[in-house]
Amino acid sequence: MPYTILVAEDQQHVRSLIEYKLRNSGFVVVAVEDGNAALQKAEEIIPDLVLLDVMMPLMTGFEVLGALKKNQKTKDIPILMLTAQSKEDEVLKGLELGADDYITKPFSPNELAARVKTVLLRRGKK
Amino acid sequence: MDLQFLILIVLAVAAAIFSVLTAIVVVIRKTIDRNRAKTQARLYQFYAARCSELLLTDLPPLPADSKPSSIFLQYESLIEPTKRSLAGMVATRRQVHREALQQVLVDFAQDISGDSSRRLVYFFYTLGFVDDELRLMRSRRWWIRANAARTLGLLGAKKAIAALTASLEDPHPDVRHQAMQSLVKLVGPDALRTILRISKNLSRWTAIELSVVVSGFKGTAVPFLIEALRSRDQSVVLFATEMLAEIGLVTAVEPLMHLIRTTIDTTIQAQSLKTLGRLGDERARNLVVELLKSKVQPVRLSAMEALGKIGGSEAVEMLKPWLASRLQEEKLVAARALATTGVEGIAVLRAAGAHNDELSAAIADQVLEEFGVEREEA
Repeated sequence: MPYTILVAEDQQHVRSLIEYKLRNSGFVVVAVEDGNAALQKAEEIIPDLVLLDVMMPLMTGFEVLGALKKNQKTKDIPILMLTAQSKEDEVLKGLELGADDYITKPFSPNELAARVKTVLLRRGKK
Repeated sequence: MDLQFLILIVLAVAAAIFSVLTAIVVVIRKTIDRNRAKTQARLYQFYAARCSELLLTDLPPLPADSKPSSIFLQYESLIEPTKRSLAGMVATRRQVHREALQQVLVDFAQDISGDSSRRLVYFFYTLGFVDDELRLMRSRRWWIRANAARTLGLLGAKKAIAALTASLEDPHPDVRHQAMQSLVKLVGPDALRTILRISKNLSRWTAIELSVVVSGFKGTAVPFLIEALRSRDQSVVLFATEMLAEIGLVTAVEPLMHLIRTTIDTTIQAQSLKTLGRLGDERARNLVVELLKSKVQPVRLSAMEALGKIGGSEAVEMLKPWLASRLQEEKLVAARALATTGVEGIAVLRAAGAHNDELSAAIADQVLEEFGVEREEA
């Protein structure tokens, strides 16, 4: 059964690109455009991995990450953060809050798919 | 009386008609704007999905003996249906679609890297967007020129290098700033030569942005910065000396010494002395000592500061008399320079705290405190 990835990204073009890449890599992709929707969807579908953009409306990626880690149902879902380039503090904050890995923009879609697979592998999902 | 009443009625009716018409126009305008925004959003969504596919579709591997340009034929085969679809539209509709497609490509350029970004550059060229942006670089509105300069850099349009170079002399600072950033993206460190040669009156903002770029290039930027020391523009020379100090390569010492000896600009002399101090190279010592006698106070103060950083027993001996200067600022700079030299200089300050005049003693105490040193040896 293919793994389900929840993608939370407010920018339409980036969301489309990630959706296309991950679907072509054999994943089921559920995409949402803000932090609130990400939280609700994560609790509803319990995805195998959440890909979270840091800068999002309503709730930031960090807030979503914190809420997911506090919730018994979602605390073990691996999280991959998507951050702006050269923002080391964002990377560190994400890792401290419990993210499994991060990728910085601008990113290579191939690298993104590889990172998703690695995180799933590391968490014994594959 | 009747006539006046009639005029009033006519005016009231005219005002009412005018109000109603205005309201109708406003409603129509808002409806058009709303529909336009909806169309733009729908088209953006469509082209975002379409471009994702174009950027990520796997292409068959090229044979080993294929020409380098074969990859472009593959890219062209990907974009061809989109081009055909645009060509079949009426001019006004095509324009709306092209705007949406261009916006999507520009947005992608900011967020993706790797092979997909090379395809993106090709699509931008082949769809004619580079030529469109080059035309916009000649716009009378500065914000349109600035945006075009930024877009051309984002999309790696090497064809735009000449136009961007010309824009380094644009009357508006934002256009110059965007052109500079784009040139650095397109050309790499070599762009610094042109930027520093052409730039005039660097604003504080541009200097900060440019310093980020230069810091990224580190040692490779040094030859261009040394070359910039010959600029006729004071802001460029000051920027170059500041950046040479930041990068910290001692290859800059001799050119800086030559600049200090040949320039008549005392601001540049003072700044260059500070840079020599930060580089801390022995070769500069004699020149720095010589300039302790300069008639220009900022030059003297910079020489003291530099001498403190170069350090050594000789520096302590040369700086000590300045503690007795009549000018408070000279006393303070000399005291700080002495503290910078290390143990010997600090010993002088401790002694000054005990023996000199009241003001010198207070300054010595203040500097010892600034440097986190006890007033008396433990």
